[in-house]
Amino acid sequence: MLPLPSFQYEAPTDVVEASRLLSEPGSQLIAGGTDLLVSMKHRLFEPRLLVSARRLGLRGISEHAGWLEIGAATTLHDVARHPTVLARLPALAAACRTVATPTIQTMATLGGNLMLDTRCMYYNQPAGWRATLGYCLKREGTVCHVAPKGRGCYATHSADTVPALWLMGAEAEFSSARGVRRVAVSSMYREDGIAWLRLERDEVLTRVFVPLDTRRVVHRKLRTRQAIDYAQVLVAVAGPVSPGGTWTAVISSVSSSPILVEAASAAELSEAAFRACQPLSTHLAPATWRKKMVRVEVARAAALIG
Amino acid sequence: MPDEIVLTLTVNGDKHRRLIPASRTLLDFLREDLGLTGSKHGCDVGDCGACTVRVGGVPRLACITLAAEVDGEEVQTIEGIGAAEAPLVAAFDKHVASQCGYCTPGIILSLSHLFEQDPAADDAAIRETLGSNICRCTGYTKILAAAREVAARGGQTR
Ligand SMILES: Cc1cc2nc3c(=O)[nH]c(=O)nc-3n(C[C@H](O)[C@H](O)[C@H](O)COP(=O)(O)OP(=O)(O)OC[C@H]3O[C@@H](n4cnc5c(N)ncnc54)[C@H](O)[C@@H]3O)c2cc1C
Ligand code: SF4
Ligand code: FES
Ligand code: FES
Repeated sequence: MLPLPSFQYEAPTDVVEASRLLSEPGSQLIAGGTDLLVSMKHRLFEPRLLVSARRLGLRGISEHAGWLEIGAATTLHDVARHPTVLARLPALAAACRTVATPTIQTMATLGGNLMLDTRCMYYNQPAGWRATLGYCLKREGTVCHVAPKGRGCYATHSADTVPALWLMGAEAEFSSARGVRRVAVSSMYREDGIAWLRLERDEVLTRVFVPLDTRRVVHRKLRTRQAIDYAQVLVAVAGPVSPGGTWTAVISSVSSSPILVEAASAAELSEAAFRACQPLSTHLAPATWRKKMVRVEVARAAALIG
Repeated sequence: MPDEIVLTLTVNGDKHRRLIPASRTLLDFLREDLGLTGSKHGCDVGDCGACTVRVGGVPRLACITLAAEVDGEEVQTIEGIGAAEAPLVAAFDKHVASQCGYCTPGIILSLSHLFEQDPAADDAAIRETLGSNICRCTGYTKILAAAREVAARGGQTR
């Protein structure tokens, strides 16, 4: 058994109150809890206060002026089955359906997926397991077991919906007691396994906006089993807007931030992606294979666009 | 601020009201506080599906659900199955789809949700659903056979 640490719990009914509670040190927001509670059982987070998103009214999907607005607490299950998502944004539906398992998709939220912590085989482990190695840079320790000579953390960005949302030109709305801001999903992340998210601690992700006139995007996830597993390689590819235009790919699960690659043709795109990605070895697959599979997966996705 | 909450929960039709620590998982509430041990403690971290219950009809992993987060809801555990699940249980018996049985309660609840949504679910849907539950004994062939039989009958009564 892995007991949860103890904490206080509040379920506020408006976002400003939630933001105020989150501004206090040691507080954290819980949405579906599918990553947060596992991490708390592993003692990666020991919040003093959990602020629940369940009464914030952030569930639901609507259409306004060419944008689909998805409440941050909408479950991946509901996003994947929404008629407009299926008809106009099929890559988003596909991406939601590759997260974890169908049961987890009924709990997990789209907002929680955009905010998902970076992952590493030395980090996502029970506290006792990590203690035997003296912990690591990302949490409690002083060295990185992946790159002992390096100075950073290389934990990987692993959120399945992000590459597709990025290429679709999606935007995220954050609210706090200080106001509301809206940013491109493509500007939310940075190449740092510890501080991968550009965000203030009291900000609540309230809505995700996806333009409905987006280019056709294809999502592909390479993993060992067709359920439960995180990606070895995650790609989204979009073709040119007009003939002769640019091909674009976003590759994730190979670094701490998704990687954007552009090229003049589908063939050049998969080569450019191969050159741009430097995945590390995982306990399931060597780095050389993962790097080659970036090329293969981008080519496969591009072929589906035609 | 409270580190305890008053939880109101309907479990298999019975209403409960208890003071519990905010850190109580739904699984521990069911097993330890209510003594309903049909929902199993497998991995405890969301990987295996042995703790699957239905909350408001929807499958959820009780080991990574806070009891506080389902306050006011209706929960169904394996102890609460009835006529709706009887054909599935009979098919599991017939095909010996349960060996050690540890995965069985979770799989019955996952599949009963699927067949409620789609009584004639096709193979792809059955396989996708079973992706939520790990079984280390059967190799899944017998579970698939049982589920296919229920789906075939669901197709006939359409
Ligand atoms: C077995 C297993 C397999 C998994 N496989 C995958 C996978 O293949 N791909 C994948 O992408 N994920 C996977 N996950 C992780 C997780 O289920 C998903 O990423 C999910 O979408 C997270 O959403 P949540 O609502 O459960 O987030 P939570 O766990 O509630 O929160 C995650 C983080 O986001 C923050 N947060 C949540 N909502 C908001 C908001 N509105 N505003 C500000 N911050 C917020 C929380 O504070 C927390 O830091 C897996 C999890 C498990 C247990
Ligand atoms: S990559 Fe980051 S999480 Fe992994 S061992 Fe190094 S410091 Fe820790
Ligand atoms: S015990 Fe809950 S998923 Fe394994
Ligand atoms: S019957 Fe033993 S785990 Fe499934």
